[in-house]
Formats: sequence, C-alpha cells, structure tokens
Amino acid sequence: MGLHKRYGDVGAVSGLDLRVEAGELVALLGPSGCGKTTTLRLVAGFLTPEAGEIWVGDRCLSSPSAVIPPERRRMAMIFQSYALWPHMTVDQNVAYGLRFTGTARADRERRVRDILRAVQLEGYGARYPGELSGGQQQRVAVARALVVEPEILLLDEPLSNLDANLREEMRFEIRRLHEQFGITTLYVTHDQAEAMVISDRVAVLQHGRVAQIGSAEELFERPRTRFVAEFIGRTNLLDAVAASAGRVSAGPLRLRVAGGDLSPGARVVISIRPHQIELGLEGEPAPDTSLNVIGGTVLRASFLGDSVDYQVKLADSDVVLRVAGPTPPRARAGERVSLRIPAAACIPLPDDEAPRDLRR
Amino acid sequence: MSREPGAASTPIVLRPRPAWWERVDRSAPVWVLAAAALVLLILLPLAWLVYMSVQSERGGFTLAQYARVFADPRLQKALWNTVVLAFWSGIVAVAIGAPMAWLTARTDLPWSRAIRSLVLASFVTPPFLGAFAWVMLAGPNAGYLNKLYRGLTGAEEPLLNIFTMTGLIFVVAIYTFPYVYIMIANTLGLIASDLEEAAAILGAHRLQVALTVTLPMVLPAILSGFILAVLQALALFGSPAILALPAGFHTITTQVWALFQYPPKVEMAAACSVPLLLSTALLLLAQKKLLGRRGYASVGGKGAQRRVIPLGAWRYPALAGCLAVLACAVFLPYGILARAAFSRAWAEPLTWDNFTLANWSFTFLHSATQSAIVNTLELGVLTACVGAGLAALLAYVTTRKLVVGHQVLAFLTLAPVVIPGIVLAVALFIAYTRPPFLLYGTLWILFIAYLTKEMPVGYSQSDATFRGIHPELEEAGRILGAGRLRVLGEITAPLARSGIIATWCFIFIGVIRELSASIILFTPNTKVMSVVIFDLKEEGQFGAIAVLGLFMLLMTFVVVALMQSLLGRDVMGARSSSAAG
Repeated sequence: MGLHKRYGDVGAVSGLDLRVEAGELVALLGPSGCGKTTTLRLVAGFLTPEAGEIWVGDRCLSSPSAVIPPERRRMAMIFQSYALWPHMTVDQNVAYGLRFTGTARADRERRVRDILRAVQLEGYGARYPGELSGGQQQRVAVARALVVEPEILLLDEPLSNLDANLREEMRFEIRRLHEQFGITTLYVTHDQAEAMVISDRVAVLQHGRVAQIGSAEELFERPRTRFVAEFIGRTNLLDAVAASAGRVSAGPLRLRVAGGDLSPGARVVISIRPHQIELGLEGEPAPDTSLNVIGGTVLRASFLGDSVDYQVKLADSDVVLRVAGPTPPRARAGERVSLRIPAAACIPLPDDEAPRDLRR
Repeated sequence: MSREPGAASTPIVLRPRPAWWERVDRSAPVWVLAAAALVLLILLPLAWLVYMSVQSERGGFTLAQYARVFADPRLQKALWNTVVLAFWSGIVAVAIGAPMAWLTARTDLPWSRAIRSLVLASFVTPPFLGAFAWVMLAGPNAGYLNKLYRGLTGAEEPLLNIFTMTGLIFVVAIYTFPYVYIMIANTLGLIASDLEEAAAILGAHRLQVALTVTLPMVLPAILSGFILAVLQALALFGSPAILALPAGFHTITTQVWALFQYPPKVEMAAACSVPLLLSTALLLLAQKKLLGRRGYASVGGKGAQRRVIPLGAWRYPALAGCLAVLACAVFLPYGILARAAFSRAWAEPLTWDNFTLANWSFTFLHSATQSAIVNTLELGVLTACVGAGLAALLAYVTTRKLVVGHQVLAFLTLAPVVIPGIVLAVALFIAYTRPPFLLYGTLWILFIAYLTKEMPVGYSQSDATFRGIHPELEEAGRILGAGRLRVLGEITAPLARSGIIATWCFIFIGVIRELSASIILFTPNTKVMSVVIFDLKEEGQFGAIAVLGLFMLLMTFVVVALMQSLLGRDVMGARSSSAAG
C-alpha cells in the first residue's frame, strides 16, 4: 500500500511508505523524477493522494477522500525558489506566519528580531528581498519558516540555487539550526553529500517509492539494492552467480563475499567500493590469505591530489575495476598488479535492474 | 509524521482522479459565471451569424446567400481586391519590417532606440487616422505633397494619387509593418551570437552565416509576421473605406458595411462574413503551427551575448532608409494633422491669418462631437475595467488550474482573435437586435463588442502576469497559515497589480480607436470618436478630424507611457495583437 500520486499516466509516487520519528531530520534523496518533491508536496497538502494516507501523530492529514488544507497543518516550508514576497520587507516576510498563530503584536516583533539574529541577519529587517544576496535570501526563507515554530518543517532543495562554497556553509548552518530547534524535518535533495551532512536518516527514493532508508553510514556500507549502491558514493558493480552460500563466480573470477546466505545459482550483483580494494605489486605476498586476490593490468592511473584513481583490467576478463589508492602512485599504466579485496567489502545485492514499467 | 500502520487497511484501489463534483465545490460559481460570460460574448453571436447565413426567407435551410455572394460579380471583385490588398500589404510589411528589425536589433545603426520608439508610435496609430492624413498629403488635387510638387515643377498632373490600390496597400503596409518588426526583433533578440560565431569559426563568411544560420532561425518569425500583417489587412475597415470607396472599388469589409446601409441585407452580410472568419481562423492556425516548429522553439537564449554587427559605410544610408519609412508612417501624417488642427484652411500656407483655434472649440463644444468623446471615454473606461477584471480572473483560474476544463476556458477566451471586427459586429447585430437580448441602439452592444474583441489581448497580458508570479509565492503563504482568499488578496494581488493595470491600458487603447465594429453597431445616440471622425470626412471637416485624431493620439500616448513605466519595458516586447481599427 502506501502513498500514491499520479500525473496523467505517470505514477509520480507509487506505494511510498515512510515513518519519521519526532524531532528527526530525514532527507528524501533521489534522482530527478523519483517523486521526492511530489512526496513533499503531498505532505504539505498542496496535492491530494490517489491512495494512501498521511498521518501526524494521531491526526490523519491526507487521504484520497479528505485533505486538510496547507494552512491548517501547522507546518512550514522552505522552497527551492525561496518564495520570498518581493513586495514585503524582510521583517514583513518573516512576521507573516505569526499573524495566524495568535501571537500578540509586541511578541511578534521580538520573535522576528530573535529569529533574524539566529540566522545572522540582524539589521536587515527593513530591506526588501531584492536587495539581498542569494545566501541572505535563503536565510530569510529559513527564518520565515522557523519563526512560527512549526510542528514539521519541509525543505525543497533549498540549497540548489546557491554557489558551491555557500552551499557547503549552509549545510552546516541548517544542521546547526535543526539541532537548536529540534523540529521534525523532511528535506528533499538530489545531492547525496548534502543529504549525508544534514540528515539523521536518508531515504533513497526510486520510482516513487523508498528504495532504502537508513543512516548515511548504513546506506554506504550496507546498500540493499544495486540502485542504492550506485547512487550513494562510487562503486564497482560485477554481475555474478552464487556458487555457494558465501562464494560467487563472475566469469572466470571466484570471489568470497560478505554475508553467507546466498542460495547457489542465484543471479546477484557484487558491489565493491574503490577505496576498499588494496592495490599490490605483482609478486608481493598477500598479507592475509582470507583476502580475494586478483591479478590485473593498470590501464590508467590518475593522480587526484589526495588519492590516486586506478583503472585496472582484470586478468582473463574484460572487467575493469576502479581502485582508489593512497598517494604516491604505486603503479603506472601498463604495469601488472594484484588486487586484494576483503570478503566483507564484496557486497552481494539482488539484481534489481531488470527494466521496470514506471506506469505500473 | 508517519502513516498509522493499522489504520485503513482496506485494499486501496488506484483511482484515476477524484470525480469532478468532488473537486469543483466552491469554485463552481466562478466557472459557471465565466463560462456563461464567454458563451454570451462569443458563442451566441457566432451561432447566430452562421444560422443567419444559411436561413432562407421562409425559415428553411439554404445556401442561396452563399451562392449569391460568390456569383455576384461585384462581390467577386471585392473578394479579389481583398486578396490583393492583404497579400501585397503583407509583402510590403515584411520588406519594411524585417530589415528595420535586423538593423535595430543587431547592428550599430545610430539612434536605434529612437527608431524603435517611433515604430511603436506607428504601431499605436489608428490606421484610419493614418489614411486620413494621407488623403491630405497625397490626394490628387488638394494633397499637400502634390501641391508642393506642382509648385516646384510647374507640372499639371499630380505626383501621387492615394486613391488607388497601390496607395491603399502603401497606407495599410506602413501601419502593419510593426507587427512584422516586433516578431522579428524579438526573435533576433533571442538568438545568441555564439550560434553565428560557431558557424563563422567553421569557415562561413558573413553572408553565408546570415543565409545558413540567422535566416533559417528567423524564418518562422518572418512568415508569422507576414501572416499577422495579412490578417490585419484582411480585417481592416477604415483604410479601405477612406481610400478605396472614393476610388470606386470595394474590399470585403467595405462590402459588408455597404450591405448594412439602407436597406440592410443582413443575410448577405452574414454570408460574406463567414468566409472572412474562416480565412482568418485558418491563417492564425498556420501561424501557430509555424511558431510551434523547431526553428522558433530552439531560439531559447538565456540572454547570451549578442555581438553588434558594424555597418561601416552603410550606417547612414541605412538610417536614412529607416527615417524615410518613419516619415511616411509618423512624421508626415502627424505633421499634416497638426497643421490642419490649427489652420482655417489646411491646404493654405502657414501664416498668422490662417492660424485658428476654431477647430478645437468646434470639436470640444459641438454637442455631437462632445457626446462622442464622452461615449468613447465611458466605453473605454468601462470596457477596460470589466475586461481587465475578467481577464485577470480567467487568467488566474487557468494558470493555477483551479477548475476542471480550464483549457477550454483559455481557448474560448483567445478565440475572438480570429474574428475580424466587422464580422463580430454583424454577429452581434444579429444576436442582440432580437429577444431575449435587445441591446441594439444602446452603448451596451458596443461594450459587448469591445469586450469580446479585447478579450484575447487582455487575457494574454494577464496570463503572462500570473505566469510571472511563481506559484511557490502563494504556497509559501498557504503553508504558513493563510487561506486561499487571503493569499490572493495579500500576496497575489499586490504582485499582479502593475500587470493588471497594463492590461487595463491595452484594452483602453484598443477601445478608443475601434472603428470596424463600431461602424456597424452605432446609432445616432451612441456615436463614438472613431465613427464621428469617419462622418466628418463626409462633411469635409478636416480640421475637426485632425483635432479629434490628435486628441485620440494624445490619450493613446499618455496611456502607453503609463503602461511602459508600469511594465518596466516597452510594450512591444510582449507579443501582442492589438487590434487594428
């Protein structure tokens, strides 16, 4: 079951299930078209679901038959465009939501001042949004959303309009404000680094449903699908067939893999992170016999400053693995090397990349 | 937040969309009212028009009227004249408008901003006023230019005769070329120079670049500008009535008008109108197709750099060419109007003896002209207020997709753009001279005609306004606790205000210059300025015509200036199809 929203023939959100704990910051992460913004707008009440329900505590906010309008949801939202009203000053923008919370006038002014101080915009109250820089506008949007002390805060790619340096700075800023105010937050982004820095948990969305949810570490170390493994960080993927519970074969290769619950004959995909492969020179004795050891030839070694990116073609195979090694480079293009991969670094995943019909 | 796990565990079936009665609720009255207004304004008159054209005297179905229209040699001739006029006006308009657009948009032509403003002046000049001015300039006997020529050369024969098909095409073209100019200048403004530089770096020289890159990209704009110009010429009543009738030939619009003279042959007029309506509809369809093609769509520059092309030795000849065109469209006509307004006899030399303010007092104190001015202003203000309000409402409803069927609403609102003024007038005449709506003889029928005619312009303007207001600005208000109406009042309305006032101005200008529908629908008590100008010509009151014309121009320019300052750009930046009188 779960949440459904369709646009014409296309199911933007199809069967999404998500539970967010009070005070938690969950990022909705996924490529464009995965349904993350639609999900957020469903939660905000701008859209009506075709199926499924949205609950906050014991209140049902949205169901196909009834949707509580956005203005009665006690939420706040920060938009991709910031959506600051150009005809109102910063003070007026920020104070707007307080008019509907029954805050006394004197109290309003104080709270506007306080929140502007919290986002480091003291003294900017009389300006119009058009007179502020992108980063300042963004902080006004944050202040406007936080000042009403919403039960739930929704953010729709709030950093995508900022330049790279400012974006990084604002990530920490948003995380700091979350720790200060502790508001339950849904954060939509397509930037995995942003999701990892900001959130308690990340929900990776694919085809309008949650592919996997967990902490950044969990998603990186223990992806459960091929899509998640590819989307979070870089990885090498090998198509393989299980030979026994703990071993697979990929063409001529034999690998020991993590876990030990494969059923023999099953088709799997093995994910190996580039930085978990150790690159040794040919002939060097392997330090530990429990490692997978594979011979290969370096096609290209690129010096990246803090690491070296190797492309290694495996012996007797067309497979090319990416290896991230420490500096200085240990091998040059054309040299023969041996790769050592711990079994725990070879993560078997179900082969979920069979073509799917998006339309259901 | 979470979905309550145990709750609502019934199997959920995917439903297409909530049924319409669940979604309509409170917006239903709006939808019904707007739809009813559009039906009354557009569908009812057009239905009557078609019905009338195929109704026989005894009440049965007949095509006899159409047969008579197409068999009558006079009407055949009028049809042919219309085709000749429209086609050649389109060609001349392109020949003038395209080079001027390129010169002002892409080259180092001197004074290019001033030239653009003057093209705008020609754009907002009522064509029938231009035609009058040219009667005074190039009439074969008393025409000012002819007198000058005779005085200089001692010749007997006039140099120019404006009462010819060539003269008519010339006068029509100098007031329709701005349509071509706008289309092309705006397109050229979107083509980034790097597209041309990409061709140049691959070895194409300047002419090859122009022929292989620039021209193909502006070709849709040229063709569609041509079609717009042809449409204007087709629908025009004033210029042919002023120039063709004295020359003894008719176009389809003057023919429809003649059929309305006593004794009126309404059925024949209807049968004449339907083919005109169909041809304008087809032409607009063609134009839409052209603009939808890849050529235009790919011209999606993000304000990329545009290199200025040096004209070198051609700078001043090019400027002279532009000024010559503008002299014909603006300087000479305005000059002769000003002269006539302050002269006892406009054709006599400018001396103190000849100076008078009598034309002004005659115009503003004479009861007939006075009431026409009052009528025009009343209708202008009323139509602009109602029209801007209705257009804003419809545009808001359609851009925010508030009701089911919003696409139909948008289509209906834009539909009158294919209806020539005179056809609309015939249709309204038929529809509102009989119960249940007896409006003929009142100002209301003119109001309905103007409202219908200006709806597409008003709607496009409002639509652009609301599209420019990001929906997130409204959503931000909603999520912070403001209801839809409050958001509309406190956020949307202040942001849309200048756009809506600009819409008001567009409609007002369109109304005060309207002639082709008014000329059919007026009665002695409901004359408007344009009709009075037309009548004064019969009396040879050129001084009064000039005064009224200048007054009309003055109002237009004041409103245009107001609009420009509100929009922060010149009004030609937006594609508009402000109707020609």
